[in-house]
Amino acid sequence: MVDRWILPLYTYLLLGLVFAAGCATGMVDGSASSPQSEASRSANGGAQSAIGSGEVSPSARARSLEAFQRGQEIPSSSSSLGQSSPLKDVYFEFDRFALRPQARETLQGNAKWLKSNPGQRAEIEGHADERGTNEYNLALGARRAQAVKDYLATLGIAADRLSTISYGEELPVCKTNSEACWQRNRRAHLVIISSGPAS
Amino acid sequence: MLRSVVAIWLLSFFLAVTVMPIRAQVRGVIVGPGAERYPIAVPPLKNLGPAVEGAKFSQGIADTIVRDLDLSGWFRVIDRAAYIEDAQASGITLGAFDFSNWSTLGAEALVKGGFTVYEDNLVAEIRLFDVFQRRQVLGKRYTGRAADYRRIAHKFVDEIVLQFTGVRGIFDTRISYVSTAGGRFKEIFVAHLDGADKVQVTNNRTINLSPSWSSDGRTLLYTSFKDGSPKVYRYDLATGADTLFSARRGLNLGGSWSPDGERIAMALERNGNMDVYLVDRAGKILKRLTSNAGIDVSPSWSPSGAELVFVSNRSGGPQLYIKDIATLKTRRITYSGGYNTSPEWSSKGNKIAYSGLSDGRFNIFTIPPEGGDAQMLTSNAGDNEDPSWSPDGRYLLFSSNRTGSYGIYVMQANGENQRRLTGSSGDDTNPSWSPRLD
Repeated sequence: MVDRWILPLYTYLLLGLVFAAGCATGMVDGSASSPQSEASRSANGGAQSAIGSGEVSPSARARSLEAFQRGQEIPSSSSSLGQSSPLKDVYFEFDRFALRPQARETLQGNAKWLKSNPGQRAEIEGHADERGTNEYNLALGARRAQAVKDYLATLGIAADRLSTISYGEELPVCKTNSEACWQRNRRAHLVIISSGPAS
Repeated sequence: MLRSVVAIWLLSFFLAVTVMPIRAQVRGVIVGPGAERYPIAVPPLKNLGPAVEGAKFSQGIADTIVRDLDLSGWFRVIDRAAYIEDAQASGITLGAFDFSNWSTLGAEALVKGGFTVYEDNLVAEIRLFDVFQRRQVLGKRYTGRAADYRRIAHKFVDEIVLQFTGVRGIFDTRISYVSTAGGRFKEIFVAHLDGADKVQVTNNRTINLSPSWSSDGRTLLYTSFKDGSPKVYRYDLATGADTLFSARRGLNLGGSWSPDGERIAMALERNGNMDVYLVDRAGKILKRLTSNAGIDVSPSWSPSGAELVFVSNRSGGPQLYIKDIATLKTRRITYSGGYNTSPEWSSKGNKIAYSGLSDGRFNIFTIPPEGGDAQMLTSNAGDNEDPSWSPDGRYLLFSSNRTGSYGIYVMQANGENQRRLTGSSGDDTNPSWSPRLD
């Protein structure tokens, strides 16, 4: 008699643990990678999407070009508008497209979310800081976006769920002449795109 | 705006030039850097007919000639305030005025002319005199629309430069560039070299980049995000027609026309990797020119059409390489500085201009195509980028943020005489110098 209900109980307990661990991991990965303050993170804690949630904020779905054309703030993990997206930006060194350890961690978190939301696709945007020519920076952005796509593929995300686009230096999130600002701009940003009926 | 574009092109059908006998005159005045400028006087043109707005043409044509002569770097125009003659009373042909009125001012050359305006038609005759020898050197007669009086001035200065240097001047040319015009969108503009007759080519409220002239000056290629991702479009300046040129998946960049106008070099993406391709005038791929794992972008043709200079980061940071189109052999030419981009091969063939990072700022350099020592043309003046050669290979356009926002500047090929050309309140970048018009 004990056998009949002990297995389902263990299964539910196990699933519960997995969900709890998954939620915790998702939030830690996301917040560890983006250069944001503790205060802003906890303030927006409620807006972080839990794994499996169907609700994705509009800013998580906004392509940078569309935001720019509409005169809206360009969404990114390093600004308050981008906090609510479950997919976090990754950052690069000057003139480089290699993924640093922090970037890989962030992408592992992004991959988890994508795996838990199989109905969603992502567009990977490659960006660059303003130094250098527009053309070279567009090429660099393309390379950065591809680096992210390739790494997500090694984490098991199917290529047909990921598209890439480069904006080069054209859509910066800040415009001051400082390394701090330039680092914010040297990014790959992921935009969530639904596969199903448009939301 | 379309009407202005069409009107500018219609001018070419109305301009008629009668050539008067020219004596080849070489006084050996055009020399290297630091040379004395040739003193020249340019009084207002004489109003020969009952023009209502006489002063506009009288001063306007002369002012334009003065500005061009000054910009050329070879002439020192004597201040009009010092002139003795009354331009409207004095004669304008040989024997009809006194050369000593000009030699006393120190003028060695003199430009005099007259015009008649009837409704929209302008007829102008302009002559260049040698003050020492007291003879006429050059004379031209122009007919055209009154509104295009500045082009007459540009054409005459181009003749003066031809006379003095053996190579026609470049003042009757246009520039194309990207401007934010104080807003956030980057649109493409075309204007005369002197900034007049500005025409807005794109108005799609997004990011437009890298305008590039065809060899016949009739079309522009440019890159635009107007369709959501970077594609290359072609704009016909005469008709205003705007068509898709390259819309391959991924990044479509640039578009540099071969000197014979038959082929275009551009950069296309394949899985994140940019390579240089040759395409035909319809945008069809003819040949892939690079196939390495690095970024290969920004091709520019040699004047012979046999080679291209381009940017590649195959050895680390971006450097300049030259590709032989027939053999596909590649050689690197820049070895100083870790970040060199935006190359442009001069039509004279002897120099390649580029923008290189040095001490944290971008500056314009030139280097011989064989490689060797680079010459730095700008310094201690902000970031200087996007060089573009004049059709005679003696001047460079470039963008600079030395005053804060980016503006388009012009300078001589040796870096002298750097002048701001555009004065918009926003950022002006990506200049491209048209071929000679007509």
